[in-house]
Amino acid sequence: MKITLQVNGEPREVDVAENTLLVDVLRVNLGLTGTHVGCDTSQCGACTVHLDGRAVKACTVLAPQADGANVLTIEGIGTPDELHPMQAAFRECHALQCGFCTPGMIMQAIDLVENGDQLDNAAIREGLEGNLCRCTGYHNIVRAIQSVADAG
Amino acid sequence: MSEAIAEDTGIGAPVRRREDARFITGTGRYTDDLNQPGQVYGVFCRSPHARAKINGVDAEEALGIPGVLGVYTGTEMVADGIGDLPCGWLVKDKAGNDMRSAPHPPLAATQVNYVGEPYALVVADSLQAARQGAESVNAEFEELHAVVELGSATVSEQIYEGIDHNLAYEWALGEEDATRMAFARAAHVTTLELTNNRLIPNAMEPRACLGVHDAATGDYTLYTTSQNPHLERLVLSAFVQVAPEHKLRVVAPDVGGGFGSKIFIYAEETAVIWAAAKVGRPIKWVADRSESFLADAHGRDHITRAELALDEQGRFTGLRVKTTANLGAYLSTFGSSVPTYLYGTLLAGQYKTPNIYVEVQGVYTNTAPVDAYRGAGRPEATYVVERIVEQAARELGKDPADLRRMNMIQPEDFPYETPVALTYDTGNYEASLDKALELIDYAGFEGRRAAAAEQNKRRGIGFACYIEACGLAPSKLAIELGAGVGLYESGEIRMNPTGNVSVFTGSHSHGQGHETTFAQVVSDKLGVPYDDVDIVHGDTGRMEFGLGTYGSRSLAVGGSALIAAAEKIIEKGKKIAAHMMQTTPEQVDFDDGTFSLQDSNQSVTIQEVAFAAYVPADYPEDLEPGLTEKAFYDPNNFTYPAGTHIAEVEVDIETGVVELVNFVAVDDFGHIINPLIVHGQVHGGVAQGAGQALMEHGIYDEYGQLQTGSMMDYCLPRADDLPDFQVDTTVTPCTHNPLGVKGCGEAGAIGSPAAIMNAVTHALGTKDIAMPATPEKVWRAVRGE
Amino acid sequence: MEQSGEYRIAASREAVWEALNDPQVLGECIEGCQNIEKVDEQHFNVAVKAKIGPVSATFNAELELSDLNPPASYVINGNAKGGAAGFAKGGAEVELAEDGDATLLRYAVKANVGGKLAQVGSRLVDGAARKMADDFFAAFSTRLDPGAASTGESESEEENKDEVPRYESSGSRSIWLIAFVVLILAVLFAI
Repeated sequence: MKITLQVNGEPREVDVAENTLLVDVLRVNLGLTGTHVGCDTSQCGACTVHLDGRAVKACTVLAPQADGANVLTIEGIGTPDELHPMQAAFRECHALQCGFCTPGMIMQAIDLVENGDQLDNAAIREGLEGNLCRCTGYHNIVRAIQSVADAG
Repeated sequence: MSEAIAEDTGIGAPVRRREDARFITGTGRYTDDLNQPGQVYGVFCRSPHARAKINGVDAEEALGIPGVLGVYTGTEMVADGIGDLPCGWLVKDKAGNDMRSAPHPPLAATQVNYVGEPYALVVADSLQAARQGAESVNAEFEELHAVVELGSATVSEQIYEGIDHNLAYEWALGEEDATRMAFARAAHVTTLELTNNRLIPNAMEPRACLGVHDAATGDYTLYTTSQNPHLERLVLSAFVQVAPEHKLRVVAPDVGGGFGSKIFIYAEETAVIWAAAKVGRPIKWVADRSESFLADAHGRDHITRAELALDEQGRFTGLRVKTTANLGAYLSTFGSSVPTYLYGTLLAGQYKTPNIYVEVQGVYTNTAPVDAYRGAGRPEATYVVERIVEQAARELGKDPADLRRMNMIQPEDFPYETPVALTYDTGNYEASLDKALELIDYAGFEGRRAAAAEQNKRRGIGFACYIEACGLAPSKLAIELGAGVGLYESGEIRMNPTGNVSVFTGSHSHGQGHETTFAQVVSDKLGVPYDDVDIVHGDTGRMEFGLGTYGSRSLAVGGSALIAAAEKIIEKGKKIAAHMMQTTPEQVDFDDGTFSLQDSNQSVTIQEVAFAAYVPADYPEDLEPGLTEKAFYDPNNFTYPAGTHIAEVEVDIETGVVELVNFVAVDDFGHIINPLIVHGQVHGGVAQGAGQALMEHGIYDEYGQLQTGSMMDYCLPRADDLPDFQVDTTVTPCTHNPLGVKGCGEAGAIGSPAAIMNAVTHALGTKDIAMPATPEKVWRAVRGE
Repeated sequence: MEQSGEYRIAASREAVWEALNDPQVLGECIEGCQNIEKVDEQHFNVAVKAKIGPVSATFNAELELSDLNPPASYVINGNAKGGAAGFAKGGAEVELAEDGDATLLRYAVKANVGGKLAQVGSRLVDGAARKMADDFFAAFSTRLDPGAASTGESESEEENKDEVPRYESSGSRSIWLIAFVVLILAVLFAI
């Protein structure tokens, strides 16, 4: 079936089987490999993207569900020369090591800051419940998000 | 070193990582992000049984599925002359006999020995067809009794012909008789039985590979999630014989974490690169997380009985340890060495215990192979030593910090030869302990405990004063002890004609930040701008040789190789500069990127020298052009990072939930190149150690079925399971490498399990609770069950 | 996995017995059953096609009957293989007892599961198996006593009748067979 979606601000049309997952549309059909697949049970959050402004796990969204929707991925939030504040904070705070969970973490973090209020340490940690990182122990991820939240 | 460089990017500066630029923008290139023209997909058929004979594999139905190009079995691999997966460390048992190795074919041909063991590879032109194909392969299994429980494995049915009692080896280290005498004379003996829980590594990127064969040239290229691509190539060519070494290129691109699990040479990449030639198309395989759980090498899994002898004053006089270590169904690449040379040798800890004796039974079971996982043997050793020392303090009514302090090796004792084969070069253990006590506010603990009690919570504090041995070395000794490879590292520095620098290292970065720290080191050493130094790694086609990254070795060994190469650059540069300044090399000094003539104001820059080397118009007659130097660095000893970790926990006695409320790590890693990265390594290690202590446990049922086979069932630490960590360092520089560095990758995972479990048992007032201290176990313990 | 249960079927033991011997009835109550083959008096092969998420597999069960004590009790042992999906094996004890006008069916199953099923589905198995057993007996009860369930469900079953495959009559052991198959396959379906 054909579906049309806005990805990182660009209209895209893909022809996929009905049971295709959004994450596969992004990675395979559109070549946006910044969104990662880290598990098969929707536990790790490496595939987190924004669907119509909210963070979702792209491995739990069927492509047809995203028909007509606005999808934002890690590739769409900033460039090396013009980083999104969250990207810059992750680098500044050393909030990543191997980088595999990072795109999902950043997308989740942006959602937290944009849609959460009163983000203290505990709230940030709770907000990251759905995203696993095996490298950083979360310490610096929490710091990075806090710095963006504090900067308003 | 110039002040400008030192301030911004030199050794010791918290330089923000350059590799982050791609990772934060989604432009990293991990194996699954790579594609090849004509690429097809592989899916493995895996055993549903823990132990069974294979009476036949029927691929007919699978081959009938549209898109399926081939079904490749273990039988065909054998017919093609593909060898078994070797174990890289030959351990000898205490009688001097070689360990008993179970043959480990990449694809099981006649028998499967653990759930998840691959026995066939289905290749199809789409992933979906390959999956369908794998579901349609009909294997006829004849189930056999599976040996699962570690404690009874030596008296269970024999798994392999010729391997009696399922024992790979019974290994021992230390003086048995002297230790027995120490116990006979002891004023007090503390005994502890411990389990070190099986862990499943779970790097966030599942293993993956992409095998390419060029029929015209006979060249193979394997892109794979490896921590050590050269070792992969060596094993695949020398032992497995998939392709000759000069025809096989192994590339490990961006790799999403390893923690040991991507050191090993696995069945999947072996079968994929072999089948790529048979099917004539590049084959990609990416593990599902389910497959990672089943078929990545697991970690730890020991049962130990330990005894500590003390004299009247509380001095340790003897330590006796007997450990049964689960090796799984096969000896993985370094599986044999982990519970022996990486474990028994560390049992002295930070203490002057004069008599130590350890016996280890390495046991086969019908479970996934067990191999190195962050720390590899050293967390297990630390767990034994630091749990029993803490227990002894409690039994004797002594402060656990004081008892440790009294027994610690003192700065003046170095170099210190332990009774278990190591010589510690340097350290100051009390300095770390003191700093950690201060950071945790040890004096205030009783107040915090009382406050917790008012909330109906029990607060406990626990210590671990760990030591580790990193940068396994020297090669000669390691090979004498059974290692199949040397443990040096290579480095190459190319000064390019335009004056910038390409650096090639045999180390591999999969999160450690080598592209940044190694550039800091080379920039500092050669006095070239940091941004002019590029670090290249992870491709056998680009650098000479290497042994990769594991065991916290990269900077101590790989970094030292770069220093050695840089010194050669400087030495040659002096000859060129001398010619340019019409003097002799002996008259030339080098400092901060400048060659200068002694007692003059004449000088040339290293960039000018590099240009002259490549455009040798006015050039020394007897000197080769070019400014490229290589070095292999083989350390003459291990490095010995050490430190003190202190954990505080609060136990909710109503629910059994243990909350890690405070964690302090003070580590001595020697000199630090980049504190930002070092602290990050400690954070991650502590998180994994906290996972081991409180949450993670790989569990098989009595039939050998993995019960914790998904992220829903295997409990990985999440952000809200952990506190902020307090991390600090002390410094005694390593005495035998040019950087004075020791290694920081594993320390967090080594000290923290013992510290946390000491805190949990302190809170509960129990002698032991088996890791992980899950709410259920703690709840039962609170109720005396 | 160990599970036991009890169903009260609003029909006489004779009626229950008769219905259980009617392959048409059984066919309506096990979804996806392709074939029941009686090898001999004590051995049966059962094939069920099931699609579970992305996995489409045929589960083949080999069953052996023992401890025959007609009509009161019976033991069935067997194993069901689902290829890549995994396997289940175990045994079931089932008995029928009169309870006034109705019949009490009691079962106790011990089964263990392997492969992917054990790995990713084990903690879901208990609930799923019980639900499938409930569904089977609910359908079965409805069949015997249409008043016990909504007419709508009965009608829909009627509509599906044409799709129900024909079975070789497996004689009086059907109930034990079916109980086992349902429970064991329920375990398999749980993924």
